[in-house]
Amino acid sequence: MGTATGIIKALNSGIKHLAVKRFTLRYPEQKLKLIGDGYQYDPTSGVGIAGYKGRHMLFHDKCTGCQLCAIACEGVAEAIAMVKVQEDWKQNKKAIMPQIDYGKCVFCGLCVDACPFYALYMTNDYELSSFTKEGLIYTPAQLQVKPEVQQDAEIVFDKRGATHG
Amino acid sequence: MSALAPKFRFSYFIKSILDNLFWIIILLTLTGIPLVMILLFYLELPVIGGKLLDPYLAFTTLADPSRQIPLLKSLLQTEFFRIAVFPGFGFAALIAAGTIFVERKMLAKLQLRVGPFYCGKVEGILQLMSDGIKLLSKEIIIPAKADKPIFWAAPVLFVATAAAFIALIPAAGGGWVVADVDVGLIAVFAVIGFFPVITVLSSWSANSKFPFIGGIRALHQMVSFEIPLILSGLGVVILTGTLNLTEIVESQDPYWWIIFLPIGAIVFFIAMLAELERIPFDLPEAESEIVAGWLTEFSGMMYGLVQLGSYLKLYAFAALFVVLFLGGWSGPQIWPPFPEEIITEGIQMGPINAQFPGLPLLDQQMLNDVLWFVVKVVGVIFFILLPRGVFPRVRIDLLLHIGWYKLIGLAFVNIFIALGLLYAGVLGPEGIL
Amino acid sequence: MTTQLPPGLQIEKVDEKIMTLNVGPQHPGSGHMRLIVKVDGDYIVSCDPDPGYVHRGEEKMAEHRNYITNIPHLERPVIHDSCNILYPYCLGVEELLGLEVPERAKYIRVIAAELNRCVYTQYWLAIYGIFLGHSTMFMWPAGDRELLIDALEKMTGARVTHAYFVPGGIRNDVPANFEEMCLRRVNYFEKRIKEYADIFYDNPILISRTEGSGVLSRNDAIRLGTTGSTLRASGVDFDVRTKEPYDVYDELDIKTNVLKAGDSYARSKIPWLDMLESCNIIRQALQKMPKSGSVRVKLKPNPKGGNDEVYKRVESGRGALGCYIVSRSKPEPYRLKMSVGSFRNLICLPYLLKGEKLGNMPAVYWSLNYWPVEADR
Repeated sequence: MGTATGIIKALNSGIKHLAVKRFTLRYPEQKLKLIGDGYQYDPTSGVGIAGYKGRHMLFHDKCTGCQLCAIACEGVAEAIAMVKVQEDWKQNKKAIMPQIDYGKCVFCGLCVDACPFYALYMTNDYELSSFTKEGLIYTPAQLQVKPEVQQDAEIVFDKRGATHG
Repeated sequence: MSALAPKFRFSYFIKSILDNLFWIIILLTLTGIPLVMILLFYLELPVIGGKLLDPYLAFTTLADPSRQIPLLKSLLQTEFFRIAVFPGFGFAALIAAGTIFVERKMLAKLQLRVGPFYCGKVEGILQLMSDGIKLLSKEIIIPAKADKPIFWAAPVLFVATAAAFIALIPAAGGGWVVADVDVGLIAVFAVIGFFPVITVLSSWSANSKFPFIGGIRALHQMVSFEIPLILSGLGVVILTGTLNLTEIVESQDPYWWIIFLPIGAIVFFIAMLAELERIPFDLPEAESEIVAGWLTEFSGMMYGLVQLGSYLKLYAFAALFVVLFLGGWSGPQIWPPFPEEIITEGIQMGPINAQFPGLPLLDQQMLNDVLWFVVKVVGVIFFILLPRGVFPRVRIDLLLHIGWYKLIGLAFVNIFIALGLLYAGVLGPEGIL
Repeated sequence: MTTQLPPGLQIEKVDEKIMTLNVGPQHPGSGHMRLIVKVDGDYIVSCDPDPGYVHRGEEKMAEHRNYITNIPHLERPVIHDSCNILYPYCLGVEELLGLEVPERAKYIRVIAAELNRCVYTQYWLAIYGIFLGHSTMFMWPAGDRELLIDALEKMTGARVTHAYFVPGGIRNDVPANFEEMCLRRVNYFEKRIKEYADIFYDNPILISRTEGSGVLSRNDAIRLGTTGSTLRASGVDFDVRTKEPYDVYDELDIKTNVLKAGDSYARSKIPWLDMLESCNIIRQALQKMPKSGSVRVKLKPNPKGGNDEVYKRVESGRGALGCYIVSRSKPEPYRLKMSVGSFRNLICLPYLLKGEKLGNMPAVYWSLNYWPVEADR
């Protein structure tokens, strides 16, 4: 009786799985731990450093206003525009810095690859929602702030299954 | 800032108070008078201390506990208690609500996920209540060309038929059944035969393409699986010689019928899954093919009533399976006996000695019966809920093939086994066992 | 001269027996595609697929972006299988520009491609389960692919649309403890997908529903030009990874899974067997990978190809995926054409569904491993 054994095997598998642990990640009480400190790029060696491609972080003391990030983004999403800042830096005579519109950004990271001065990195922050479209445009001052992330849930394997814990 | 609140005018204020007063008086009289009539004419009011119960006496008993017990005991003997609370609607609705919640959590655990967990502090216990409130608050939309009287009546008829089915099933020994009919099993099958009619009525009156397909599929499915259902029940009737459900349970005293008629039990179980429209037989409600089948056009509380009727039907079928094959309420005596000292001497609470004449409320045998009944019904419900996580849906031609060929063949084999056991003198009225 | 209108727009006389059903884009049983199905009672008389609802002109847009900014653009047709879509493009551009990819980068590319294949196949299997009414078969694959998406996120920095491959290698090196972490996840994943056999592939209800339906014979499969798992389920032993190896596939030991039946059951089983094979490939690649080395060739800014054309082919989750690039000494490609497995397999649908029962339609349609977004590009 092939069908009978098939049905009993399926029911048996179902009952066995009642004892396996649940796999769900209970977001937002638990948040996934992402690798590293954010995606970074090393212009001297030409290779990136593994990290999550979240919100950007701009280092004001390294940016020279060369616009290479805006030029790199032109073919992809046109999300970076250069704006005038009121700060006075020695390396930034034109006093312009990138402003990123997260309504258009696709988080590909080509702008980070384009920057030759170690000034633009990406961080682990991905919760960027806002109530207005204008609120999604991050000025250079907003991009300077290092985000506070509390991410600590990882996949844990044990005898009765894998969980996010 | 007060753009939302209109300006205050005194005449409108008085008018709104008078409006509210009008509606309150109308509703109170419309519901209060039938309630009073039910109390006076249908409930048998008990006699306490030589006086028939009246409101003054009822309030007195709240203060004097020794007169409370006879009141409660007499209320337990009324017909109303049987219909509304114990083997009737209240008990069944409680088990149905528990079934819905347990189904969601159990399927979630089987699928390695969580299920409802935000409502209520402990793992989503209040989810069912919030679903009920949500359904009550939704607007009921009737399609434009629908047949309005039948469309409104269909969910109510569905719940009414399910309740009629529950009324026939005994839950404990000693006559705890709402309708003690001598031809109980045939009455059950007569009520079950009414369900396809209601399904087709509700799907036809909705006047839309998807309910139409769902209704036709439901008709095919339910009608073709009624026959194996009846034939497998016939095996039990042959061996017991009676159609009364209480006597069928009493005849299973040491040995349950599932030991002698396992094929009949399996046929009954599969036919039961098809009658309940559970996966793997849920073609009338196939979600990925015909949106929601014959339930598509129901919204708001009509959908709530249909779901309630479905789960009441589930409890009733599981209880019928337990009564026919698993020995109903029989089981070893594990309910502890009532401590006698409370009746004879009362409880000492400091300087006060409280006497409770009339305890215990229900006797030990009955509570033991109920306990075993509930345990067995819960076990059967677990096995009804399990295939939902394990099997895909069958196609319509495979369904009809199973119903008309395989199950009827197996049911006839079962009848031959029953006849063989009867004529060999093993079971039945003059049998060894 | 009268032009032939597409099937959905022709004027035809209404037949009393035959009903036309639009299993359209807003139906729980179809993807982003319309199927115009004519039924006679319960039997399908004819079926005309109507793709094109998600066409965006990816190939035309690619002509306005240079070789590097094409990378986030071209991976969008299949977002979870993005490495496999970029693979032929990167191989083609490397040949145009004359780049030599380092050894470690080739191995990491193979690992990323195989992980992406498993992620895509799990998603496809989840939807197949829900089309047949099996809700557990939706939850289990959707949950188990989280393990691999997590591994991909540690490697590339994004859960889907990785934008990881570039002409010349890969964008960043894997983190420090990647091998051990990936191995643990792949081992657990393999244990999980072996459980699907009991509850799905040996389930008698599934077998009675899909066996013998939508049979594609071996000659028909070759004549109609099918590819991928559809081809291998009809008895043809062809896999681009073994027959035309690229990167380091010729150094790995790959077994091709072939089934002879050609029905929906075989077509739904081959991707599952391929996933088990992918786990083996990942383990071999993790073992053979050189422990250190560069992963990217530094490119000059605005690289230009010569007056050349190149065609490269790769095995993705759906079949052979090819990319044909024509360059005319400019930073942008002059013409870029992607030939995708989904669109090539779509031709089978009118032939397979003729004479089938209506209840079999979702099972046959989705078993062709059809991804609507990729077919429309």
